[in-house]
Parts: sequence; structure tokens; C-alpha cells
Amino acid sequence: MADLAVTGPLSFGWRVGMLNRRSVLPGFGLSFGYAVTYLSLIVLVPLAGLMIRSVGMGPAAFWAEIASTRVLAAFRVSFATALAAAAINTVFGLLVAWVLVRYRFPGKRVVDAMVDLPFALPTSVAGIALTTLYSTKGWIGALLVPLGIKVAFTPLGIVLALTFIGLPFVVRTVQPILQDLNIEQEEAAFSLGATRLQTFIRVIFPALLPALMTGFALAFARGLGEYGSVIFIAGNIPRVSEIVPLLIVMQLEQFNYAGATAIATTMLVFSFLLLLMINLLQGWMRRRHG
Amino acid sequence: MSIVASRIAKRFGSYQALDNISLTVHSGELLALLGPSGSGKTTLLRILAGLDFADTGSLEIDGRETLGLSPRERQVGFVFQHYSLFRHMTVFDNIAFGLQVRARRDRPSKAAIAERVHQLLDLVQMEWLADHYPAQLSGGQRQRVALARALAIEPKVLLLDEPFGALDAKVRKELRRWLRRLHDEMHITSVFVTHDQEEALEVADRIVVMSQGRIEQVGTPTEVYDTPATAFVFDFLGNANRLEVEVTDGRAHLSGLALDLPIRLAASGPAIAFVRPQDVDIGKTVEATMAPAVVRSIVTIGPTARFELDVGGHLIEAVVDRERSRGLDLAVGDHCGVRLGQVQVFSRSS
Repeated sequence: MADLAVTGPLSFGWRVGMLNRRSVLPGFGLSFGYAVTYLSLIVLVPLAGLMIRSVGMGPAAFWAEIASTRVLAAFRVSFATALAAAAINTVFGLLVAWVLVRYRFPGKRVVDAMVDLPFALPTSVAGIALTTLYSTKGWIGALLVPLGIKVAFTPLGIVLALTFIGLPFVVRTVQPILQDLNIEQEEAAFSLGATRLQTFIRVIFPALLPALMTGFALAFARGLGEYGSVIFIAGNIPRVSEIVPLLIVMQLEQFNYAGATAIATTMLVFSFLLLLMINLLQGWMRRRHG
Repeated sequence: MSIVASRIAKRFGSYQALDNISLTVHSGELLALLGPSGSGKTTLLRILAGLDFADTGSLEIDGRETLGLSPRERQVGFVFQHYSLFRHMTVFDNIAFGLQVRARRDRPSKAAIAERVHQLLDLVQMEWLADHYPAQLSGGQRQRVALARALAIEPKVLLLDEPFGALDAKVRKELRRWLRRLHDEMHITSVFVTHDQEEALEVADRIVVMSQGRIEQVGTPTEVYDTPATAFVFDFLGNANRLEVEVTDGRAHLSGLALDLPIRLAASGPAIAFVRPQDVDIGKTVEATMAPAVVRSIVTIGPTARFELDVGGHLIEAVVDRERSRGLDLAVGDHCGVRLGQVQVFSRSS
């Protein structure tokens, strides 16, 4: 009877129906409750605190904090470098995943394990190592000087550091999908007269696109928030190579909590919108292709 | 467009997948490669398509040496067991794929491609599903799209790898009859692989029975069913009782039971006799030329009844229709008579 009351026309909305739907898996209530509590404590409450704080400031004060040319420039640098690094990682991460899945070669396991190193290494170590290599006197940097390319202490250096940090995200999201890709699809394309390039562009790539987008989104989000590696290689020149996370730390050091909050909130909103867009796009693709 | 394969061999490591296969597929016929798993039938089909490579041998399709050509140069239509449709493309785009990937100078105009695709959709009776994605189709529909996709490139030959293998029994029957009708209309040289003898017997013009990388027999369905060339073919084509016998003076002896039958085997010695369950005659009493038997079990399956009979210590299966079974009025444990008709005897070596 209880079931009838909930799923019948008198039930008040699908929400109740969902919670009461019978399932062979036990513990829905417990696990759902735990998940919500956990997410609230870890993610929602700190972010809500941030939002409340910034709403409390009033729009004029908020605007005053973020509208300076220095802050706007930092936003531009942060978003542009994170996007560029994520884009680079999408291309080369796909390549790495492809080689790891499709070919057998000596030392494959070692290479496979190396992909995860950026996860494990303290990011500041990575930043210092990259700076040493790419400064004008470094091993690689010195080679680039005659070409007129400066990497360390420029936005290019930031892109480099973020590329290092973000690589595993793309590789590890694309790899399992590539592994599961049915070889018969490629054989079908060949037998229908497609060249290898056509097969890649028209058959393989569309199948990988959702995973590539996830990898891109993760690498991008990681890049936006990255602090440790970037501050060493960026040179942190205001309006040129200064990133938003650094600016927030600087505001905090000057006890300007309002400023830090306003910048952080703006960053949060834009990141969220971008990630939401990518997610919606993915959902749309998945619905179309099942 | 005939296919002539000669002395094709293929090894996978130490495993001889194909052992000097020579085979001719006549223009316009529908040929079945029939065999158990591991018989090499799929490997042979994939070599015809260029998806696998032969170690030695030669292959001519339409009079042209083909082994050195890549799949895309062979103009062969291939239909996979699990359809392998492109999931991110609509039915229309799947079928159009083979035409759209052609080099610009050979590629039909957009309108011509659309017209061809609609013709094919009409042919496979799926006009109304052109805008659907493969995930939205049933198994039978997917296989028909896969067939239309393969036909779009106007292939010289059509190769089908267990085309009905992934479908449920009812759809499978419908689809294979439909394929037979389609073939009667189009007359495209076709080879299909199957492990289902019923399917091969019903659909094919000729059947190639394979076992362990060799061809056991090639013939029309009637030929391979009625006059199997080897013990393997007899055993594989439908259920059969297998009896170990001694042949002396042109007569086969089963211990305790003399089979007085004209057999083709001249040599004396140990041999294997086969008799199909429906060729075993049961009598209420032991009539002339019958041997005494005891009923061990009776199972009624739809319109037929299957008897298990103990004949002098040998278990023999008999299938009779239900009416006859009622007339016999036998129960488990009863004594009866049994007569073996249509016995085929093969010497032990074959």
C-alpha cells in the first residue's frame, strides 16, 4: 500500500518516487545520505562560505575589488594559459594514450607509470625543475635563446608548467576508452574503402571525443587552480605573467580578505560555468549516440 | 564475379588455422562455410576480405589476383557478426559512409549518394529509420543496416561473418529467409560463415564443411546431408548415433547385432557407423530384421518424441513423430524392436 501511495497519481512529484523506488540493492538511503553529507562538508560548505562572504560585501565594493586592470589581466593570463595548456594536453595526451594502447614496445610499463608522475611530484618541485631547464641559462632555455624564444618568466612558461601538471588527466581518461574501442569498427571502415586518416577522423575520433572532452575539462580545471609550479616559472610580473591564485594569496598577505574573496568568487563562478558547459555538451552527445 | 582461392595456408604460432585450402565460389552463388569453432572458417573469410593475411597461396576475385591488395582496394562487402555499425552516425550516414570516403573524382554527388542510400534503405525495409542512431535499433534492424552499408559500395562479392549469430532464434529465422530472397533478387556472389547446420542447409546454394583448417566436403545441401563424404560431416550435419562396428565381407557387425546392410565400404576391419535418429525404426514387438531393445527414456519435444533405446548394451537415439509415438504406446522399461535404416559406415582412418 505504501508503494501504491507513492507511485500512484497522488504522489507528490518524481522526487518522492525516486527515493522510494524498490531496488534489489540495499542501503540506498544510507549511501545517498552519506554522499550528500560528505559533499556538503567537503565541497559545498566552504564554497557557500565564500559566496556568503562576497554577497555580504555589496555589489559596489565587489566590483571595485575585481575591476582593477591588474586583476583583470591576471584573469586573462589564468584562463588563457589554462585553456592553452589543456588544449596542448588534449592533443599530446591523446598521442601518448594511443601509443600506450596500440603498440607494444620495451619499457612500456615504465612509460605508463611515468604518466602519473605529475600527480605525485610536489608541484613546486616541478616548477623549480622547469624553471632551471628553461631559463635563458638552462639546458633547453639556452638552445631557445638564438631563436628568440623565452619560456621562463613569461606566460609561455606558465603554459609549460600547466601542461606538465595536466597531462595525466587526458591520458588517463582517454586510455580506457581507447582500450575498449572495437577493432571491428576500424575493419568495417577499411573494408568500406576508407583510408587510415579517414578512419581516424570519421570513426575513431568521434568515439573518443567525449573522453577527450572530459580530459580537457579536468586538465583545464586543474590548470586554473594550479599555484605551486606556476609561481616559480611565471616570474609573476603584474599584468603580464601574474596568475589569479597568486593574486589571491597576495591579497591575503595584505589582510585584504574582501579583495581575496571577491577575486576567488569570480574565479569560482567562471570556472563553474565553463565546466558546466562542457558537461552539458557531453551529456548532449551521449544522449544522441547512446 | 567468382572467387578462386588456391592452396591458402595460415598459421597462428604453432596452430595451423588453415591447411592448404582450395576453393572456388561461382559467380552469383550463395555459399556457406560451415564448421565448428576453430575450424578456420572465419579466418578464411577474413583472408578473402583482406582483414587477415594468408601465409601462402593465391586468391583471385573476378579474375584478378587479390592477396596483395588492401581491404579498401578489394571492393568487398563485409558484414560483421556484431554489426559494427558506427555508433555516432545515423543509419543514413552509416550506409553513406562507403560512398562518402571515396576520392573526390570517384565520389558521387551528394544527391546521388542520398538517392543510393534511400534505395538501399528501401531494399532492407528501413526507410523510416534513416535518422535513427544504431543504439535505437533492434539487433535484426542493425544487421540489416550493416548489410545495406556493405552493399552501398557495390561490392564484387559479399562476405558475411556469422551474420545471424547474435540474434535470437525467431529473428534469426526471419532474417535468413529474407537474406535468401534478397540474394535471389540481387545475385551477388556471397559467402557466409556459420556454425549452425540448419542455417547452412536452409539458406545456401552450396555448403563447404570445414574442420581443423581443412575442407571436409563441398556440395549442395542435399549432397552433404544425404551423402556425407566423411564421418565428421555426418556427425556435424545433424544429430547422429555413432556406433563402433566391425566390417567383414561387406557386412557391419555391432556386437550382438548383425546389420545386414549394403555398405559402401569394401575394406574389412573396425569402422564407425552412423545412423540418424529419424532413420531408426521402432516396433512394438520385435519384427523381422529387427533387433530387441529396451526403452530407457522418452522425451516429447513439440511435434516429435525422442526415445533412448538400449540395444544389446549400446544406447541408440530414435526420433519419431508424436502420432507414431502414441501408436507405439511404449513406456520406460518396456521391450521393443528396433531397425536401423540408412546406415553409413566409414572406416576408422577417415
